[in-house]
Amino acid sequence: MQTAQTTLSARRRSIHPQAGDTWQTIAKREMPSEPAEAAVAQLQSWNLHVFARRVIDDATGEMGNPILPSDILFLEPPLSGGQ
Amino acid sequence: MLDLVIKNGKVVDGSGLPAFVGDVGIKDGVIVKVGRVTEPAGTTVDASGQVVAPGFIDPHTHFDAQLLWDGAAKPAIEHGVTTIVPGNCSLSLAPLKAEHRMKLVGMFNQIEEMPHKAFAEGVEWNWETFEEFVARIGKDLDINVAPLIGHSVLRLWVMGDDSMKRTATEAETQAMCDLLDQCLSAGAIGLSSSFVDMDERLQPVPSRYADTVELDALCVVLSQHNKILQVVHEFFDNDLTLARIDQLADISLKHGINTTLSPLFVSHDNAESAQQIMARIVEQTDRGARVWPQVQTRPIDISFNFSVPSLLFIRLRKWYALMRFNTPEQIIAQLQHAETRAALVAEAQVMMSLWERLVLRQVQSEANQALVGKTLKEIAEIRHSDALNVMIDISLEESLEAHFLSADMGHNDDQLVGELLQHPNVMIGASDGGAHILSFATYGDTGYLLGHFVRDTAYLGLEAAVKKITSDPANLWGLGNRGLLREGFVADVTVFDEVTIDRGIEHFVQDVPGDGFRYVRDAHGVNTVVIGGAVAYDNATGYHDAHRGQIIG
Repeated sequence: MQTAQTTLSARRRSIHPQAGDTWQTIAKREMPSEPAEAAVAQLQSWNLHVFARRVIDDATGEMGNPILPSDILFLEPPLSGGQ
Repeated sequence: MLDLVIKNGKVVDGSGLPAFVGDVGIKDGVIVKVGRVTEPAGTTVDASGQVVAPGFIDPHTHFDAQLLWDGAAKPAIEHGVTTIVPGNCSLSLAPLKAEHRMKLVGMFNQIEEMPHKAFAEGVEWNWETFEEFVARIGKDLDINVAPLIGHSVLRLWVMGDDSMKRTATEAETQAMCDLLDQCLSAGAIGLSSSFVDMDERLQPVPSRYADTVELDALCVVLSQHNKILQVVHEFFDNDLTLARIDQLADISLKHGINTTLSPLFVSHDNAESAQQIMARIVEQTDRGARVWPQVQTRPIDISFNFSVPSLLFIRLRKWYALMRFNTPEQIIAQLQHAETRAALVAEAQVMMSLWERLVLRQVQSEANQALVGKTLKEIAEIRHSDALNVMIDISLEESLEAHFLSADMGHNDDQLVGELLQHPNVMIGASDGGAHILSFATYGDTGYLLGHFVRDTAYLGLEAAVKKITSDPANLWGLGNRGLLREGFVADVTVFDEVTIDRGIEHFVQDVPGDGFRYVRDAHGVNTVVIGGAVAYDNATGYHDAHRGQIIG
């Protein structure tokens, strides 16, 4: 058996959101060198499982796509050839 | 004098070691001898020509509600299952405050397709704490129950409506930890959570509002009790599944606990993904983590009628809303409304190839009986229509009591599924026993394993397959002295015929409280089932009402 320090094979970079995160705060924190608007668009395209989600906001009755605290958010496109 | 002896069987003891011919002697609910038993016994079961194995363990069920009106979790026992694990997927029926009952019923209804009426007419709500719930179902229990605690339920108890709005405060997280600690001390075997499920208003369930800090804190409690974490992951997405495996591996390594995720399916269109997932599981196992995917044995079949919301329609928002939020009378009225019908037809056109493959499996009227068993494409040709309109027309003709079957929707390639089932890092589970009762039968997966994948296609040997449904889950889910035919182990035993064991044909029965129906499968080839040292079922006389089931924790 290897150990917990063993290097794993390539993985698609991801994060869990922090409290109060929005697409904008994540883009600013994780992609600081990218123009803000482009970074948000990229993040959303890599995370359609969140961005395309439609949930009714109880407070407003509007459909929204909230980032949930348990979500996984990818910071890059799918790796070529899978793993 | 022994209580019971099972004589001359082919003993497959659950360890994976080769079978041998022998006897199993039982006294006071415990196995006292395995080998040649000469001591007399009050009851003797002749197992000549039969396999004698530990009772099967179903680690992924939703029998929570059924246990309130049926302590045998029928028909699980007649399939050889002696222990069930309810409380999966973040949902358990305890701990549960009175004011949250209907909210939880809504989640069970949406996620596990348990009818509201069954809860209304089959459940006397006389518990709140986990201890009270266990005491309630513990009366006259026939099957062993090893309950998980639902993460969503913990959040509901501590945070109320806010559980579906925000992360927990430090004090709330501590309160959840204290509550989990209390439940684990009272006999729960672990915690279940969900990253994907939604309630009946299509809102994310409470566990999805938990951040990693909260989950980590709860896993500290699991670690203190050496208990398991079960999650439902984004099984429909390969990259998310891989990321969840990594998350669970980190949790397992940090806290030293077992983790399991379910379900994992394999079909031609995701075979490469399944390979990647298993490669990642092996990699994380090599790293020292314990992450176990659950794989079901049966292919995916879904039945439905228009009066009950079916997961088959979940991507068609107009259709799903029609079924979810309307009475049968309202549904009929809307389908008869030309404009509404046209909109529904337009939305569902995209799935025409599926509608054409559907089989009409059940109707009430004599006029349509001749069509039963035909595909909707065949019926459409007869009626000079198309499959989608035929489905609507027949539903209206039958007052919505036309049942359609979508068979072989996936997970149905013997080689792909067989190779996955035999993988040493795969746990056989995800049966969903007791759930989805109007969509498919969640019973008989063990018979299908032993009949189809052992006898008929030989993807697994008999001893290996029995190990995967006995000692493996007993070890992983921490069920103590169960899962092996060994002296000192609890006497849960299943006697079956390896030549005939199988699952029966799926059929519709009316045995759910509130005059409700469900799909079930009868067992083939299971001869005797012993639970806690007493015969609970035999195929000649049926159930014995021995009430030897226990809460295992």
